[in-house]
Amino acid sequence: MNRKTKEIFIKYIFFLFALVAIIVLAMIVFSLFREGMPIFKQVSVKDFLFGMEWYPTFDPPYFGIFPLIVGSFIVTIFATLIAVPLGVLAAIYISEIAPRSIKEVLKSVIELLAGLPSVVLGFFGMVVIAPVLQNVFDLPTGLNIVNASMILALMAIPTISSISEDALYAVPQEFKEASYALGATKFETIAKVIFPAALSGVTTAVMLGMARAIGETMVVLMVAGGAAAIPESIFDSVRPMPASIAAEMGETPYRSLHYHALFATGMVLFFLTLTFNLIADYVSNKFKQTGSATL
Amino acid sequence: MDADIIIRLKNVNFFYGENQALTNINMNFRKNKVTALIGPSGCGKSTLLRLLNRMNELIDATRVEGDIIFEDKNIYAPDVDPVEIRRKIGMVFQKPNPFPKTIYNNISYGPKLTGVPVDDMNALVEQSLKQAVLWDEVKDILNKSAMNLSGGQQQRLCIARALAMKPDILLMDEPTSALDPISTAKIEELIEELKKNYTIIIVTHNMQQAARISDETAFFYLGNLIEYSKTEKIFTKPDVKQTEDYITGRFG
Amino acid sequence: MHQIQASTMKWRYLQQSLFFALIRGAALIITLALGGIILYIIIHGISAISWDFITKPPTHSMTQGGIMPAILGTIYLTVGAISIGLPLGVASAIYLTEYARQGRVIRLIRVGINCLAGVPSVVFGLFGLAFFVIIFKFGSSILAGSLTLGFLILPTIIGASEEALKSVPKTFREASLALGVSKWQTIFRIVLPNALPGILTGSILGIGRAAGETAPIMFTAAAFFTSKLPGSVFDEVMALPYHIYVLATAGTNIEETRPIQYGTVLVLVALVLGINMIAIIIRAYMRRNKRW
Repeated sequence: MNRKTKEIFIKYIFFLFALVAIIVLAMIVFSLFREGMPIFKQVSVKDFLFGMEWYPTFDPPYFGIFPLIVGSFIVTIFATLIAVPLGVLAAIYISEIAPRSIKEVLKSVIELLAGLPSVVLGFFGMVVIAPVLQNVFDLPTGLNIVNASMILALMAIPTISSISEDALYAVPQEFKEASYALGATKFETIAKVIFPAALSGVTTAVMLGMARAIGETMVVLMVAGGAAAIPESIFDSVRPMPASIAAEMGETPYRSLHYHALFATGMVLFFLTLTFNLIADYVSNKFKQTGSATL
Repeated sequence: MDADIIIRLKNVNFFYGENQALTNINMNFRKNKVTALIGPSGCGKSTLLRLLNRMNELIDATRVEGDIIFEDKNIYAPDVDPVEIRRKIGMVFQKPNPFPKTIYNNISYGPKLTGVPVDDMNALVEQSLKQAVLWDEVKDILNKSAMNLSGGQQQRLCIARALAMKPDILLMDEPTSALDPISTAKIEELIEELKKNYTIIIVTHNMQQAARISDETAFFYLGNLIEYSKTEKIFTKPDVKQTEDYITGRFG
Repeated sequence: MHQIQASTMKWRYLQQSLFFALIRGAALIITLALGGIILYIIIHGISAISWDFITKPPTHSMTQGGIMPAILGTIYLTVGAISIGLPLGVASAIYLTEYARQGRVIRLIRVGINCLAGVPSVVFGLFGLAFFVIIFKFGSSILAGSLTLGFLILPTIIGASEEALKSVPKTFREASLALGVSKWQTIFRIVLPNALPGILTGSILGIGRAAGETAPIMFTAAAFFTSKLPGSVFDEVMALPYHIYVLATAGTNIEETRPIQYGTVLVLVALVLGINMIAIIIRAYMRRNKRW
């Protein structure tokens, strides 16, 4: 083999490795479809997605995951409501205001928070937050929407904060200087110049934070309470999709209807998070702004 | 008359995407001479230099037209391996760029990896460093990192590194622009010494330097070769008005 | 030139002070939350920690004894995951930074990596179950769990490696290529060695992630309880995260075993945050001692 052929050969070997991410993604889709599709021979797609009853072990079983979808969305939305202000404000603090030493500390804090295993946070919600909620609000259980949302928010904060921080950091220095030169205060500069310029990045951050929250498993498994019903209050228990899959998969017989139904739930979850990620990707590319010259 | 011509350019055009950087260049580089390429920034002189060892093709979306003949062959012919060309045509860059390795390993890196048979690596390292007039300064610290050397020493190391490949031609892209005057003087002396054995093509923005060290000078402007002649002639009685304006400092 | 009203100025600065207070409040809440959780776990878990706790297996239906098999299992799974994720991730990053030119295929690959990074961990668990446990017939095993975790951390490693490769100056590549050294030799001799510290620190974060994940190993590797240590990669193992989940939700006596639960949580947190801390410290050190 001559030198040039060898060079091209090596290049294609690396190309194959670069395809691994796509291949794995395809393998995931394949396995979800292979194991999830059979449920639709028994239950229509509409009944599956919008059915109000999730009683997979009854005779006859009911496979309606609507309450699970609602559960997923409710905890995700509440978690986002908590995490977005905290995460974005922290990002502003880090990128614009904090003195150098505090900045480094806060960045490490957020990094460590991101590194905290979800089972640990779930455990904390279960043994610490739940009893507090139960006593303060006099509830039958502290494992509910509020608890799960708070813990999920903690998991989404690092994602939201670090990506927002990158976006804020990328705002060209000239913009800030122009604003200060006009006599604007630091707050006015942040609110009217820096933040709007970073908005697409912050939007991406929020989408990815939501994707993180909706796919998170251990927290909702341990602290959401597990009731597969449409909640009526924020202190009710819910059973988000990941919780349902994780809790039930261990106990279902291989290739039973229930097993297929759980894989189909995984499909729904996968495509939901995929949508969030694609939106985030679209937003970050569409409004990509690399410097003042591109404006 | 052709015997002393080492590279021949015929109707060479070069494009970065849609932008034409060089237009219809015809010129012959002579063996064992120092040829200086001068002209204002963006005139295409560095682009031309990088065409000669096919370094330009590392940049996306570039295109070459015309022939660059070296050893009776167009170096852009489809069957020519750019890696082979670069072994025979060495290059020294604007900023000294030694590898973060020891001084010894900087020199031995090229010969070792390109499979050039070397009987005695130590001798080759010594010889290369001596040619680059660096040996006396570094002979006791060959196993120290090259990053500890001064800028001028680093640049001479880079020259030694290129010489270790025993190239026919040495391309130099503003080799002294990042150096202090004393280091610059040393490099210029070195070039004077090296032209006995090598063909040197040097890009410089410093006209005094071109006048001091080169035998022939080519003046470029806006991607065109305006004038190419003996250095003495270019700097005393150029044929073209633009050349005269440039060397007398009226523009550029 | 007109006079800016003093009261307007005052209001503008008041606005700013309020906003800054809000921002500092947010930073404080996050710090306190993390600090509170870690402190709480340390205070409650430290009493359970002993040499025996770390080196002995559980006894009496996991109400007494130690957690050694779970620690060992987590180490096996993590080592397995990194030995799959690291080579694949680094090779992938090499293509993306060194060879790829802008184009549709590259765009597609990048979207793919982002999407893979967003796949929920429980979905990885399902994938591992369907693919490695069932189709490849590995059963619930170290191998199946390692493969699942290895693919889970792939995007992290690709990202870290790309960043590290990009930070190697272009002039190094040029210098090597100009000597007539081929591209792949330049990559292996110049680019990769200089990027290695960055690749490794980035990958340590991936290790931390792999060690702490629960959902992906629930159906692919983790055992509720095994008295014996694994003999081969085809055996099930106990793992720290799953052990915590089991003790906290399905143990024989959940309230009684709280100290063991806290102890296990503390061990996992120390392991994972310790790994992360190492990465953070090495990175800070590297930034300060950068040679180019």
